Amino acid sequence: MRIPAWPVLALVFCLVGARASPAADDRADAAPSPELVSQGKGLYRQLCSTCHGVNMVNPGTSSFDLRMFPREDRDRFVGSVTHGKNSMPAWGDMLQPDEIEVLWAYVRAGGKS
Amino acid sequence: MFGPEVAESLAMSGHGHSAHKLNNGNREEQPTMKIPLLATALFLLLPAWGYSQTTDELVKGATDTANVLNYGMGYHQQRFSPLSQVNKQTARNLVPAWNLSLDDNRSQESHPLVYNGVIYVTTHAATIAVDAKSGKQIWKTKVEYPPETPRIVCCGIINRGAALYDGKVFRTTLDAHVVALDAKTGQELWKQEVINWKDGYSQTLAPLVADGVVITGTSGGEYGIRGFIDGWDPATGKHLWRTYTIPGPGEPGNDSWPGDTWKHGGGSTWITGSYDPELKTVYWGVGNAGPWNAAVRQPGDNLHTTSVLALDPQTGKIKWHFQFSPNDPYDFDAVADMVLVDMDVRGTPTKALLNANRNGFLYVLDRTNGKLIAANKFVKTMNWATGIDESGRPIESDLTKKMRATGETVEVWPSVWGGKAWSPSAYNPGTGLLYANTLEFGMKYTPTKPQYRAGTTYWGADLEWVFPEDKNVGYLKAIEPLTGKAKWEVPSPTPRWGGVLTTAGGVVFSGQATGEFEAFDADTGQKLWQFQTGSGVEGQPVTWQQDGVQYVAVTVGHGGAYVVYAGDERLANVPSGGSLWVFALHPQLVQASR
Ligand code: HEC
Repeated sequence: MRIPAWPVLALVFCLVGARASPAADDRADAAPSPELVSQGKGLYRQLCSTCHGVNMVNPGTSSFDLRMFPREDRDRFVGSVTHGKNSMPAWGDMLQPDEIEVLWAYVRAGGKS
Repeated sequence: MFGPEVAESLAMSGHGHSAHKLNNGNREEQPTMKIPLLATALFLLLPAWGYSQTTDELVKGATDTANVLNYGMGYHQQRFSPLSQVNKQTARNLVPAWNLSLDDNRSQESHPLVYNGVIYVTTHAATIAVDAKSGKQIWKTKVEYPPETPRIVCCGIINRGAALYDGKVFRTTLDAHVVALDAKTGQELWKQEVINWKDGYSQTLAPLVADGVVITGTSGGEYGIRGFIDGWDPATGKHLWRTYTIPGPGEPGNDSWPGDTWKHGGGSTWITGSYDPELKTVYWGVGNAGPWNAAVRQPGDNLHTTSVLALDPQTGKIKWHFQFSPNDPYDFDAVADMVLVDMDVRGTPTKALLNANRNGFLYVLDRTNGKLIAANKFVKTMNWATGIDESGRPIESDLTKKMRATGETVEVWPSVWGGKAWSPSAYNPGTGLLYANTLEFGMKYTPTKPQYRAGTTYWGADLEWVFPEDKNVGYLKAIEPLTGKAKWEVPSPTPRWGGVLTTAGGVVFSGQATGEFEAFDADTGQKLWQFQTGSGVEGQPVTWQQDGVQYVAVTVGHGGAYVVYAGDERLANVPSGGSLWVFALHPQLVQASR
């Protein structure tokens, strides 16, 4: 729908586009690169922290405690973020696959970077 | 102040609104009905009287103990009731009268209204009418909004209540629409789009009906909006006026913004204003400047962010403004309750406005002209400023000066949550004290470079919370308005996030994030009673008397900003789940007290 006119993100795509592609990251046990994690952190703060807490710290009652999200279930993450789930809004119309991928890296890293 | 009372009632009653034209500015043009006898006759014949709130009724709302007609228990928003059946002696005998599920897991901050035995309460997803005695739902009208809307809502999915007027129930929706429903049936009468939510605008506030105009504001101060306040015709939904909180090019104050920064400068208006019918003035708080990083908006004060605006309800024209935190870097939003109090100031009877501001100072203004009377610190720890000067400007501390000069990380108190967040305070004319749920924690604050992207947060700062060592993140305080000093305080281990209510019975009501709804002695702070409601209390307690029984109602259900954003894991075992609780003295004790 749109290409973000957002320089930081544009940079993200240039730098990590290839590595962040779903195929490359399919091996769940491969630790996400620190680079991806820190890019994910920026996006997380901007889009997700209001409901899931600063640094993913959250009592988990009104939304989901993302520290508890199964680290091997990338498909569920991508699916829930793209299409939404219950009161979790969908982001598919706004986020590029690469952006969801850096968010996944950050969540897999447990909100630490 | 108004025309003949009966004609006024008739004009406002829904059957007579053809006699009353709602035009900008010419409110002086009185209803054509000039023959009092005929007016009286018609007035007595009105069949739907039980559902028609007139301007006169709304003006008298604060002393009408049979109903709860205004947000804040009166146009003045003192949240004070003259009722005293529940008092210091009897409060311990409070028991639940009933509970109604709101069928919703979001935050419940709705201010219940009560008219002729019917309670009107809202959630983000529905408007509900309930029989006040039996607790039975009479009607429920759902609110539909696009499922993506919560993406642009920073601080909990909330609705803070409705307004009643002319047989209608007015409310706002998360996706920025104003709706009018038939109070009797819940049927939608009109619905107006305020603005496109996709640009970061949302609505959670209860409308204000002042002088026959429905007035609403907007949320979105964290999403790069440009705030405004709107006036609507209650009968048709016609848009009457819009006053931007941030002046555009050519308007006075626009030069307090460099370049185009005014376009995304914030200045939200997400809490209902108060109203002085004698001065015909609405008082409306304005939110923080955006983005948080103030360097982006320098040089300049960034009017009218973090201000109170005095408005003419008919035209939206600004009569005066007072700014609390010029070029605000710390999200010191000033939307919270503007409490109108007629009080004695050093021997002079004064029409005052009280505001326990997010920036940690309690302001007393002269509400006839916006002049500062007093501004004193009401929090324990503050290091962003050392005081307020005579002109009303904060005297910024070396810490703030250093942060502005270098962009370095600083540990600032209070945090972006403020010395008091949205939680509405209550003023008791009997004690002369302002009862407020204050906050007491700081933050590590690092300004960052923000990028505007429509429909996403426009922050420009990284934050980390700094909680006090004793882990009490706030206090319920009884504050002297002119000094800021607390006569008593009760620690809040987790914040009391809801409103406060006080009564002539000498009682103060509020509730905890861990679910206890509580009553305190207004003079001493001694706890008189508490009841575990089953979820966090974020609602606004109200009280009224019906058939000789004083009722106290509050919505509970957590999920507000603190729960979703502050990461307080101590709340992990507090379930969400919204409901409306109503309490009264044990029936046998009510009998005995008659
Ligand atoms: C408006 C609040 C809100 C925002 C913003 C938000 N979420 Fe959520 N999220 C929720 C809620 C509520 C749930 C719990 C949904 C449920 O009931 O199962 C949730 C659940 C989730 C889940 C778990 C879904 C599952 O499969 O069980 C993931 C993953 C998630 N969110 C990721 C994100 C990411 C990534 C972002 C930022 C792009 C984000 N969320 C932004 C509210 C939000």
